[in-house]
Amino acid sequence: MAKTKIQVGLEIGTSKTCFIVGEVRPDTAVKILGIGSTRSVGVRKGEIYDYSLAASCVKDALAQAEDVSEVEIGSVFLSVTGAHIQGTNHRGTFRIPEGEETVTPEHIEEARNIARNPPMPEGNVQIHPILRHYMLDGLDQPSPPVGLFGTTIEADFHVIHGIANRIHNSIKLVREMPLEIDDVVFAPIAAAQMALDRTHRSQGALVIDIGAGTTDYALYLDGAIIASGCIPVGGEHVTNDIHLVTGLPFSKAEKLKIMEGNASPDPAHSVGKARLVDENGFAEVEVNRSILNEVIRQRLEETLRLINARLPEGAIRKLGAGVFLTGGTSQMRGFDSLAAETFGRSIFRPETSELSGSQASFRDPQFSTAIGLIRYAQIMEAEKSPPPGALRRLVGSFWPFSR
Amino acid sequence: MIPYNRENKTPLSSSAVKIIGLGGAGTNMLERIALDGTDSAELLALNTDLRTLEASISREKIQLGKNLTKGLGAGGDPELGHNAVIESENAVREAVRGRRIIFLCTGLGGGTGSGAAPIVTRVAREEGAFVVVFATMPFAFEGRRRREQAETALNELAVLANALVTFDNNRMGELVLAKQGVHEAFNAADKMICESIKAVIRLVARPGLINVGLDDLVTALRTTRSRCLFGSGIADGKDRAARALRNALASPLLDQGSLLHEAQSVLVHLCGGESLTLYEIELLMQQLQKHVPEKAHILFGAAIDPAMGDELSITLISALPEDALASAPRESLTRAGSDESPSLEPTQGFTEPEQPAATGPEPEPATPPAAPATSDNKDQRPFAEPNPADSGPADTSLPLLDPVPEAEGESEPEPKSSSGQKAGSGKLPVTQADDKPIKSTTAISVKPPASDAESHGDPQSSDQKPSPPRKTILPPRRKPAAKSDTSPEDDDLEIPGDEPPDDPAVTKDGGEEDEPDTPAPRLALNLKPDKSQSELTFESVPRGRFQGEDPNVVDGEDLDLPPFLRKKKS
Repeated sequence: MAKTKIQVGLEIGTSKTCFIVGEVRPDTAVKILGIGSTRSVGVRKGEIYDYSLAASCVKDALAQAEDVSEVEIGSVFLSVTGAHIQGTNHRGTFRIPEGEETVTPEHIEEARNIARNPPMPEGNVQIHPILRHYMLDGLDQPSPPVGLFGTTIEADFHVIHGIANRIHNSIKLVREMPLEIDDVVFAPIAAAQMALDRTHRSQGALVIDIGAGTTDYALYLDGAIIASGCIPVGGEHVTNDIHLVTGLPFSKAEKLKIMEGNASPDPAHSVGKARLVDENGFAEVEVNRSILNEVIRQRLEETLRLINARLPEGAIRKLGAGVFLTGGTSQMRGFDSLAAETFGRSIFRPETSELSGSQASFRDPQFSTAIGLIRYAQIMEAEKSPPPGALRRLVGSFWPFSR
Repeated sequence: MIPYNRENKTPLSSSAVKIIGLGGAGTNMLERIALDGTDSAELLALNTDLRTLEASISREKIQLGKNLTKGLGAGGDPELGHNAVIESENAVREAVRGRRIIFLCTGLGGGTGSGAAPIVTRVAREEGAFVVVFATMPFAFEGRRRREQAETALNELAVLANALVTFDNNRMGELVLAKQGVHEAFNAADKMICESIKAVIRLVARPGLINVGLDDLVTALRTTRSRCLFGSGIADGKDRAARALRNALASPLLDQGSLLHEAQSVLVHLCGGESLTLYEIELLMQQLQKHVPEKAHILFGAAIDPAMGDELSITLISALPEDALASAPRESLTRAGSDESPSLEPTQGFTEPEQPAATGPEPEPATPPAAPATSDNKDQRPFAEPNPADSGPADTSLPLLDPVPEAEGESEPEPKSSSGQKAGSGKLPVTQADDKPIKSTTAISVKPPASDAESHGDPQSSDQKPSPPRKTILPPRRKPAAKSDTSPEDDDLEIPGDEPPDDPAVTKDGGEEDEPDTPAPRLALNLKPDKSQSELTFESVPRGRFQGEDPNVVDGEDLDLPPFLRKKKS
């Protein structure tokens, strides 16, 4: 009987701070024990700018999560995002010395070290060095080609890095709860764990997690991550656009966005006027749907185009599975048809079947990142079982398939 | 169920329509029409120049003035063209007999076109046809005289023809890119006219689900002495309704739809394949509403033509009083269609004295056009049923003078004093004589009204008729003119009531004068981008929630600002 372990994911998002407590079994089953979620304060575009406010939110959410799940939370997986975080691809090449014919683990380690330590901007720190694949004399090798004959061994890495101080500040905030941090995970990586299975990854899939303050994306081709990043635009911008264009106050703009907005490029949805009715029955707000929807559509379309522009040339055409939309803003009506038009690929809203637990919340796409953290934890757990503890990351990166 | 074939409902017989190309330009247009193929129309070429005529591919040809010009052209002399067509009048009459619709295509400004077009129109009307004239106006560089000849002919045609569609060559630039060849520019113009003709034929000849016929066409064009506004657009595929409308509004004749804001009645005809949905129609009409005043009479027609396939075509036809076009269509924020007749005065005041002034130095060419005009009007009167009021006073002098006899008292002294004052700058009002809604000319026309006010001073306010229109029209114009003139300020004092509403409107429209009057919510929209335009600093732009944060710049665009507003600006 495999032992189960409780894992906790913490996402400090622009709109909400949430803990997800999950019970993880090695056989990939996840049971959500509880969710603690509060509105975030002091977070903008995915980055914490007021630490004391954010800390109080985390505290609230923590208490709630512990209460609901009846688990004492000791350590968490923390997701981070922000425009400063970016992913780049690097290749480390190692020529096998004269006299040695076959590849040894030391050679591979050498190539990995070269690839994993690329030149980075001053003050940046790595979050994930993710192995994409190896190459032996120019041929793809998904697993370490130990023992094979060859002259040159190459390792391709996708290195995600961000500004060290900001990431350390997030970590510090959580440590002061006090909570231990199991790992720091870039948000789209976590969301991808939730959204994609291995088939999707090998076919090629793009995950777009569009939240309140940021839009994170991760692109997988041939089973390996190839691009990831964050665009500092999200649902909050949509609300702000509506506010700026129509002059409505934020609360009404937000309500209008949720109740009436439609991002579909089809003009059929833009006929007539959108009304927000007061409790008293007065038509308190009336906006032309054509304007409302155009504002929303242009914002989201621009965001999708920005993502598209950052992906490697021609990558979209190679997507076999399609585009997976998650995140709170992905619930916008018509967003899938807009995405279908922008990318010309099939659009999915991922739903994980192997989850059980408190049903109501985890189907909501706004929790996809936090749930993805549990998944991530599960995978890490499966990887590190022999040598636990501090070596985890090192060993984790030996993990043959990318995460 | 009894099947009933709707197809054969009063189809217009092919011999009922005739397209006449008159003069050199007209022949060119005819060529284009022939090349594009019109299934249901006869073509007839009329010219004095035998060589061009022989080169024409139209089946029917009539050489005008065989004895007079001996197969040469009219040499740019409208009188010669006039006499030539008089000589061949019987042949023309024979050719148009029994036709229900005549399209007359001609280029005004030259000899044959300007001289003969009114006569041909009259003959066709006398034969009981519905005459639509498509006329091109000469380029500005062709000189004042040609322009005047064209104007004279146009004024006659405006009275004679049932509908008049003018196309200004100066606007050809809008149809093609600057670097494209001149032949392409002319091609585009001819194509445009060809499209127009085809659209009218389609409209009249094809029985539709919601039928529009000649009667509706006449209603749409009823405004006397009008210029036809015409736009036609075709689009297919997704969103075709919106795109077809956009294409139609992009027609240079419509000036991006801004001219429609003045229209009193608009004929809208939709033609689509069998996939045309009611929803699309609704969508399209809703968008069109933005460009048409609320009170406008909309004549709506729709037809299903399987030949259209996936395409959807929209045709907009409307008419504006000529003066509305002339007197700054872009600045007309205040009168959304309320006072069209009083607004005649300003233009009248200027176009009218100029012609005498122009005829003074060069007597031979310019006076004769006046004479045929009067004779035409006399002859034509029995046929111009819809506008007896016009043709009545038309006898007295040039047609331009006619419609406002009551204003003549003032309008005559006005220009004199202005020309007296502006002896030095006398050229300005003259070049402004053309009543085309070209930007440059409207800019020039800014001055004269102000100088009117100057010369008149107080009496203007005591005048019974002309003062109200001046009030309405002047304020927007005076903005640019104010720098030089002192009098506008006096006027401001006189009409404080009108000014305030105008000012914000003018500033709001700021850079793009294309959409003068928009409903309230849209005005609020316009307000914002323009504010940010005038102020250059980054922070001053309202940023809502992200106020005070670092600009979120990606690829040179501040992502915190709505794309909706950013795109609009650029």
